[in-house]
Amino acid sequence: MRVTLQEDLDTLQASLLEEGELVLRALRGALNALREADAELADEVIAFDDEVDRRYLQVEQGIEALLARQTPVAVDLRLVLAMLHTNLHLERMADYCVTIAKLTKLVAGLEPEPRMIQAFEEMGARAEEMIRIALDAFVNRDVDEASSLVELDELIDRANRRVVRQVLELGPDPELSEWGLRMLLVSRCLERIGDHAVDIGEQVAYLVSGEFREFTDASHPVQGS
Amino acid sequence: MSTTPPNIDPRAAALFQTDGRLRRRRIVNRLMEALGTIASLAAVAVLVIVVASVVKNGWGAFSVEFFTTSPSLSGFGTAEGGILSSIVGSILLVVIATIFALPIGVLVAIFVSEVAPRKVADVIRLALDVINGLPTIVTGIFIFSVLVLAQGQSAIAGGLALAIIGLPLIARSAQEVLRLVPTSYREAGLALGAPRWRTILGVILPTSLGGILTGTTLAIARVAGETAPLLFTTSLAVTTSVTWDPTQPVQSMPLTIFQYAEQPDPSFHEQAWATGAVLLAFVLVVSLISKFLLARSRRKLTQ
Amino acid sequence: MTQADTMVNVAPIEIAQRRERPQTPTLRETVFDIRNLSVSYGKTPAIKDVSFEIYRNQVTAIIGPSGCGKSTFIRTLNRMNDLVPSANVEGEVLYHGVDLYGTKVDPVQVRRRIGMVFQKPNPFPKSIYDNVAWGLRVLGMKDKLDDRVKRALEQAALWDDVRHRLKKNALGLSGGQQQRLCIARALAVEPEVLLMDEPASALDPIATARIEDLMHDLKNEYTIVVVTHNMQQAARVADMTAFFGLEVLPDKSRTGILVEYDATQKIFTQPSDKRTEDYVTGRFG
Repeated sequence: MRVTLQEDLDTLQASLLEEGELVLRALRGALNALREADAELADEVIAFDDEVDRRYLQVEQGIEALLARQTPVAVDLRLVLAMLHTNLHLERMADYCVTIAKLTKLVAGLEPEPRMIQAFEEMGARAEEMIRIALDAFVNRDVDEASSLVELDELIDRANRRVVRQVLELGPDPELSEWGLRMLLVSRCLERIGDHAVDIGEQVAYLVSGEFREFTDASHPVQGS
Repeated sequence: MSTTPPNIDPRAAALFQTDGRLRRRRIVNRLMEALGTIASLAAVAVLVIVVASVVKNGWGAFSVEFFTTSPSLSGFGTAEGGILSSIVGSILLVVIATIFALPIGVLVAIFVSEVAPRKVADVIRLALDVINGLPTIVTGIFIFSVLVLAQGQSAIAGGLALAIIGLPLIARSAQEVLRLVPTSYREAGLALGAPRWRTILGVILPTSLGGILTGTTLAIARVAGETAPLLFTTSLAVTTSVTWDPTQPVQSMPLTIFQYAEQPDPSFHEQAWATGAVLLAFVLVVSLISKFLLARSRRKLTQ
Repeated sequence: MTQADTMVNVAPIEIAQRRERPQTPTLRETVFDIRNLSVSYGKTPAIKDVSFEIYRNQVTAIIGPSGCGKSTFIRTLNRMNDLVPSANVEGEVLYHGVDLYGTKVDPVQVRRRIGMVFQKPNPFPKSIYDNVAWGLRVLGMKDKLDDRVKRALEQAALWDDVRHRLKKNALGLSGGQQQRLCIARALAVEPEVLLMDEPASALDPIATARIEDLMHDLKNEYTIVVVTHNMQQAARVADMTAFFGLEVLPDKSRTGILVEYDATQKIFTQPSDKRTEDYVTGRFG
């Protein structure tokens, strides 16, 4: 029963996951461009954002139509709201990929520090993993999997803090300093992507339990870990 | 659950306080009940008395021969044999009357309730009411002048006179049942693309069949006992043998009662009472059948 | 885009199976072309100057406050208003270009092509089988009667419920089942259009949901026009929605008019007319 509602929900979720796949491709592209210092690839990543935006708009409009026409309640309503938020988080993540690509272009002529590049590759891989886990948890409505994102996010946060120290250690050379400053921003982008993945995980928890709750709260730090 | 007695709000108690009026109302109620009961008992008592006296007076004449042989005269001028010819004759007359009255009555009812415009329907209904109120002897004379003068007496003439009497009964009850059929059935039939008459024939009529049958059985019960219309149309009948020929006059039970009552010999009187009892029994059975049919059709319609 | 060549392929996430929905055809065939339709009962106006088109294989809903002429309107589509002697119809109702109220048109034939289901389920007091078969017999579609009856009951999602008791009286079915039987009865004679006058308003929510799913399935084969006083129902089932409002005439009488007619999505997210918005938001009417 309510065949149309179910079809609409399935279609929206499928669109959302496609958008997630696009975000992953954007991230991979941005990371590759950063590693290879490839300005052309960076341009393509920036242009690719239009795809993500298109998908984002599609999901937004789909949600508007679904709310107006099907008046979902209970778990259906929570699913729609969770998709609404997740849509936003995905779009923000894609924007951060664009920022990374833009920064890559800005440092095109400058000399990279290979160790830090390696660190970014690891941070990037972690971010990719988090996105995959978040979307997987969404599809499977798996709260445990979603809460595992917190630890992964902690790793990225630590990596981000290390980058700060490494940038400070780069020394007074102006070109290196400029490069380091830009890389600081790249690091921050990756850290924010991780945060958005955690947010998606929190949406999964809301979807399942109905509770609005953050996994960890900066003002209420979790002991240990 | 608390065991302390509830707090009675004095204002609530005052609301339901009894006054002298309650007692008077109770007395009036009982009085009315008593009066109603007495009246009902009286009505039933009349029926019981009539039936009892008929059966008592005719008891002596009941026998197997009474129902199986036709009348004959004994050497002493007493009644011999039974009323077989009357029974057969009555059946024949009723059948002829039904053959005429039923289709016409149903068609008139359909016309009035489904097809006719309001004004026309009102006129027809009025006409039916008038026919219903016609003195039956007048009906008899009418058939006499129209049919009997030319062709002589016959069962058909008698049956026709009875049909005229029964027609408004059938038409009225058919109308009532047709009215009871929900409009939604007509709408549903029409919406399927069925012509009007198919809907009436295929849905409306079958649904009202029970009620129509009821009306018919009531009409039968009524006309079976009519005497006056038969006086001019089928009274000169051969009574000593059974005839199934409708072109000839036939004997009938009401006429038998009439004729035997005028005979000098009390054996004839006894047979007259017995015939009356048979007629009563017939009316009773037919009434029961019609009630049963009505209940069944009501169940079907309102399920 | 050439991204697929230059960007390294990322292991794709499993995407939930997306059920392909039949696309609403952009090329819409008109079934009804209603032009300046006005209906009055004697001196009392019911609807005034209604004009719009109803498209094939779509569900078109008619919504509006009570008294706005929704039922009157839908009954003009299959000439059921003929049953009311005082009904007066002006304007044109073109069915595939033919004016249903033209002089040469036989209303009985009209009703064969355009079927109707009513608000209160009204199965005949016959067996379930005979209910469906009656129309077929009357219209001379007697060949393979059993198959036709079965198909109609299957289309109405009732076959499984009743296959073992086809000879039982139809009045023994529940309200929802009776309504589906009425739908089967209407579909048996193979109309092109199915008109539904508040088909679910006498039913409980579960039976209602069943009827709504049915409309969704049936529109692949039929064109459906449904009158409903429940606008959420219109939002759920209809592709196009027509909103009828009330207009006060100079002589203080009220008549129904077409206020807005558009894709349902538009009506319920961004109606063009303020009166429509007031109605669907529940702030008026």
